[in-house]
Amino acid sequence: MKANGNPTIVERYSLLDRVVHIVHAAAMLALIITGLKMYFGWNFMSFHTARALHMFAVPFLLVVNWFLIPVSIVLATGGGIKEKFLHFLDHYVFGPRDASRMAGIIGNFFGKGKYPAFTIYDEASGHYKTKLHPLMKILIVLEGLAIVIIAITGIVLYSLNWSLFGLPIASWILSAGGLIAPSFGMSSLAFLRTLHLLMTYWFVFELVVHVGILELDPNVWKYYKAIFWSGKEDLKDTHYVKIVKTPSNLADKGRRNH
Amino acid sequence: MSTGIKNLVQTLDSVDFLKMDRRTFMKAVGFLGASTFLSSFQTEIVNALEFAETKIVWLHGSECTGCSESLLNAANPDILQALTKLNVNLAYHETLLAQQGIWVDNKLANTSELNSEILLDDLIKEGNYILVVEGAIPNGPNGSGRYLVLGNKPFKDIVGEAAKNANAILAVGACACWGGITSAKSAVVQETDYRGTAFLKTDASKGILSELNIDKPVINIAGCPPHPDWILLTLGAVILGKIRIPDDLPDILDQYHRPKVFYPPDHVVHDNCPRRGYYDQGLFEDQAGGPYCLWKLGCKAPYAHGDCAIRKWNNSLSVCTQAGPCSACVEPGWPDSSRPLYVESEGKGVLLGENVGTIAKVAVGAAAVAAGVHAVRRMKGE
Ligand code: HEM
Ligand code: SF4
Repeated sequence: MKANGNPTIVERYSLLDRVVHIVHAAAMLALIITGLKMYFGWNFMSFHTARALHMFAVPFLLVVNWFLIPVSIVLATGGGIKEKFLHFLDHYVFGPRDASRMAGIIGNFFGKGKYPAFTIYDEASGHYKTKLHPLMKILIVLEGLAIVIIAITGIVLYSLNWSLFGLPIASWILSAGGLIAPSFGMSSLAFLRTLHLLMTYWFVFELVVHVGILELDPNVWKYYKAIFWSGKEDLKDTHYVKIVKTPSNLADKGRRNH
Repeated sequence: MSTGIKNLVQTLDSVDFLKMDRRTFMKAVGFLGASTFLSSFQTEIVNALEFAETKIVWLHGSECTGCSESLLNAANPDILQALTKLNVNLAYHETLLAQQGIWVDNKLANTSELNSEILLDDLIKEGNYILVVEGAIPNGPNGSGRYLVLGNKPFKDIVGEAAKNANAILAVGACACWGGITSAKSAVVQETDYRGTAFLKTDASKGILSELNIDKPVINIAGCPPHPDWILLTLGAVILGKIRIPDDLPDILDQYHRPKVFYPPDHVVHDNCPRRGYYDQGLFEDQAGGPYCLWKLGCKAPYAHGDCAIRKWNNSLSVCTQAGPCSACVEPGWPDSSRPLYVESEGKGVLLGENVGTIAKVAVGAAAVAAGVHAVRRMKGE
């Protein structure tokens, strides 16, 4: 999508993308900090304040992940369900091409070869073919799963008899946990709580990888501005960017090979 | 006793307690101690039970008798008063009865007046009793059950016979409920193969009754030992017909067959612990002896569904966490589910013996190092 005026400036992140990312990051940080406060007993606030803030952040995280992100994916392209699904695959799901890029990146890390471009912009269609670092694509899917797990376990920590429309959700979760917990020699509740903590550590790990490995690079800093503020990318800066020109009759084929 | 409970007693005093529906009754029972319950309603109970005497057959399996001791610890009413008030005939209880097993020339001798084994046989034949099982039931060696034999009969078979003719079955204590300490992980546990009455650990298909193909409901009074109130009040409710067996059980018991009034699914001991204020402030002990919260010393009360911290033990005087970490002895699969006892649950080894904290530290550390190297290389533009 080309912006008016300068032909090399394109929209990398829509407004919705940016809002989603900021709210997601803020909610996640709030949850990690208040969660670990409860766990370690750090003494900067009371348990009750931490728990209240924790619970305040939960709906933000969940609305962003389970509502706004799907909406943003649906709005990102025109066309039908197939179009949208392919866009989702190309942009967010680790595929064979990401694997070969990843191999190039690992090679580069150990001193072999150039760092491959991971953002591919198609001048012919005026759309990105793919944007994200391959490692990001791995993290995104795992993050989605981890959020499901932490939300499910969080329900039980919130209230042991939480129910929705009269359905005893929390006791279902406890029963399900009870099927697995004994193989770890734990009670269901202890198991669910440990999972909640493990997922928290996973998010911390992910944050270190995300910020530390992917973004701690002066040549990537252009994307900070894009994700937090402008949403724009200037294709003149060719770091990690490749511009291709796929004739439209080949576009579909290229995608199938993907 | 707190004023809250006194008020409740006054309120309950003015209603006809025996006409209460089951739900209200169980709620009231949940609030009361056995002493309050029995002394407040003594006359009604005695009137209601005037001629109906209830027999109890109390069997001891592989155990320490701590559960019976806990019951004997009940004061005001003590067990004798309670039995009198409830019009109960404790017909058979190995550690309290006077009879002995008498054998002469390999044959049971004498009468039920003197010989406990004849007494037990007679009682079982007569039927119409409440069966209480205390202690685990060995199924080993090789399914014979001969690791515990009374007279010449495997205890396993005695429980089976007694269960068949019982009006109601109560498993008292962790061992009788799910194996308890006797079925904890050990070098001999496969051999001995101790079982609970209706469960083995959390598995409801491996109780000794299933092993014997007996399909009868069991009420589990969990704990090591259980609180005397839990035993007496459950017995009281069964005797008074406030718990109809089996019709009311799905409503009254949780998935591990514990009465929800005493083992509330939505409440853990940690919620009302005397040290809870310290927990809320994040003040944790890292060695034994201090006043603060014992979570990091392995307190398992956050996982223990019991009313201990409200009901209190030792005649409403104290609760375990005042002395040391709770081990969640009321939970199925105890003690293995709480081991190691003095390590917090989240600190338990889950991968190659490491706990999630250590795993996370290693992973985050490695990621940070990789990030550093990566950053330097990127900055150099390699
Ligand atoms: C998405 C839904 C979530 C819900 C419903 C939820 C709920 C809760 C609740 C109620 C507690 C308090 C436990 C207690 O009372 O002791 C808790 C603890 C905690 N939460 Fe969450 N949480 C959620 C997500 C998260 C996320 C995303 C993180 C971190 C990234 C997180 C990290 C923690 C940690 C570390 C604790 C302390 C664990 C412990 O006490 O062992 N939670 N959570
Ligand atoms: S000592 Fe145990 S029960 Fe008491 S507040 Fe601490 S963790 Fe909870």
